[in-house]
Amino acid sequence: MDILSSLAHGFSVAVTPTNLAFAVFGCFLGTIIGALPGIGPVNGVAILIPLAFALQLDPTTVLILMSCIYYGCTYGGRIASIMLNIPGDASSVMATLDGHPMAKAGKASEALAISAVASFIGSTVATIGLTLFAPLLAKAAIYFGPSDYFALYILAFVMIGGITGANPSKTLLAAFLGLIIGTVGLDPGTGVARYTLGSFNLYDGFDPIIAIVGLFAISEVLVYLETSNHATGTLVPMGRAVPRLRDMLPGTGAAFRGSLIGFISGILPGAGASQGAFMAYVIERRVSNKDNTFGKGDPRGLAAPEAGDNAAAGGALIPMLTLGIPGSGTTAVMLALLISLNVQPGPMLFERQPEMVWGLIASLYIANVVLLVMNIPLVGLFTRMLSMPQWILMPFIIMVSFLGVYSISHSTFDLLVMIGVGIFGYLLRKIDISLVPVVLGLLLGAEMENSLRRTLSISGGDFAILFQSSIAVGLYLVTFFVLVAAFTVAFRDRGRAAIDQGSSPISKP
Amino acid sequence: MSDRVAGLIFLVLSIWYGVTAGNYEASFGDPLGPAAFPQMLAAPAGLFSLYMILRPDPDPEWVAGAPAVRQLATLAVLVAYAFLLEDLGFVLATALGVALLGRLLGSGWGKSAVSGVVMSVGLFVVFDNLLGLPLPLYPGIMG
Repeated sequence: MDILSSLAHGFSVAVTPTNLAFAVFGCFLGTIIGALPGIGPVNGVAILIPLAFALQLDPTTVLILMSCIYYGCTYGGRIASIMLNIPGDASSVMATLDGHPMAKAGKASEALAISAVASFIGSTVATIGLTLFAPLLAKAAIYFGPSDYFALYILAFVMIGGITGANPSKTLLAAFLGLIIGTVGLDPGTGVARYTLGSFNLYDGFDPIIAIVGLFAISEVLVYLETSNHATGTLVPMGRAVPRLRDMLPGTGAAFRGSLIGFISGILPGAGASQGAFMAYVIERRVSNKDNTFGKGDPRGLAAPEAGDNAAAGGALIPMLTLGIPGSGTTAVMLALLISLNVQPGPMLFERQPEMVWGLIASLYIANVVLLVMNIPLVGLFTRMLSMPQWILMPFIIMVSFLGVYSISHSTFDLLVMIGVGIFGYLLRKIDISLVPVVLGLLLGAEMENSLRRTLSISGGDFAILFQSSIAVGLYLVTFFVLVAAFTVAFRDRGRAAIDQGSSPISKP
Repeated sequence: MSDRVAGLIFLVLSIWYGVTAGNYEASFGDPLGPAAFPQMLAAPAGLFSLYMILRPDPDPEWVAGAPAVRQLATLAVLVAYAFLLEDLGFVLATALGVALLGRLLGSGWGKSAVSGVVMSVGLFVVFDNLLGLPLPLYPGIMG
């Protein structure tokens, strides 16, 4: 078995003392980041990237650390959902529906245990899926030429636009804004300075990492400051500190069903973890809600979305690693990290740096076990952290963001760029323009332009070459259908909203 | 209205972006050159901006009053921090920054000051001493 021997090699990379230590540390940190409301996985990973970068760790170690933080976040998000009825991150919203009622009924400890097991099942299903499918997809992707990649990038933007936003035209505009910002700086092909306005500081363009920290962390603080009275929520008493084994079992079946749904939703670019959790909950309710217990503390209503959330988070790693196209906000941020480490994700990653990819996959298996152990006996520790006041947490987040950005370049200009981008991100969020496509555009713009230009140098400038490969034509067809579907749904919703006035659109970050 | 204003700004930006691209020329390199890709971006970006002007979504609730003042004050603290970090040194600037931010987030002066001092010293020890990221310790004027 090719995969097994690769995986065995991966474990030999993952169990070196340094990598193992960073994996455990990442799991711990990730659970905290996930648990604290006000700092989600995107912000958490974004803030920590400059630091990981400045510490000059080995790229494999950095990738392991960040992925463990990422997995940890998906475990931690449910804690606040259950104990406070405030989701720790966007994808844990569904866990409040049945998790909090359980906790209020005196079963907080059971709810935490059930959801920890569900998280474990979801993440493990996704990790196994990653092990099996990622190499296959990477093999198929080798047949992709530059024109096919160009088509794939277009599809990725349209998928994100079609699925994430309430208003697809705004999401697509966001992608174009990102691409436009991405062209600032010296043109890599010819060395012409584009849109630098004569400033030498802009010759290198906008560093995606600095832009990401600003877009997510600074804008988050501004959003937080909007309301003066925050629902702090009161902690539900924990009950039993270490749950009994038989308390963990209800909902296992629901967790497996949720995992499959979440995993598929995670692979699709743009769907992401929130969608995975949502779909898993809706479908589980349809299948199992025979006695009308959902929403009142049914363990299956907690296990399904929690497993779906985690499986989607793991599944989102597949397109990111194999195609270089992230399936969610957090994987987009991780892609930024890889690019800054001079690692180009995509099919060649599996060929050229197998120890990195397989080391990562192996450490995800280890992370899952570590996280399960951390989240069952130690969950009380994380729960206690929920009472940390915001006037400590927010300044801490801000200062770590500044520290990270400052440590990259030691430049005041970059700090100001970060603040400026943060204000820009805040304004975009206010008018309901999603930030993830902006980041994607900024990240993928250079590679997209590069693939277009390589394609056209093959044909000597003839645009017909873009439609000559059958892979590309297939991708354009899918793009077309996604676009039609997205706009049809948007127009139908808009028409419906006009009929029953008063339903305000829910804004997403 | 917000969408119309934003759409107009983005439309002007797209037009400027597309027109400026026309100036970029290179006598060597690939057949496409540095101008084509930006021009290809400008057209759809302009169209989507136009769509925002013509079919705007309902206005969001913009903040006003005390929260808006707090946002502006926070931004002022952040900008001041960016400028003063090297002049005041990390510990002093961070202690001041954290204390002011804590105050803006609704904590009392005393608590904010304590958290400022603890956090700035703590971060300095962790990042400079333990992790080896060089940070400016002393105020710049002291050399």
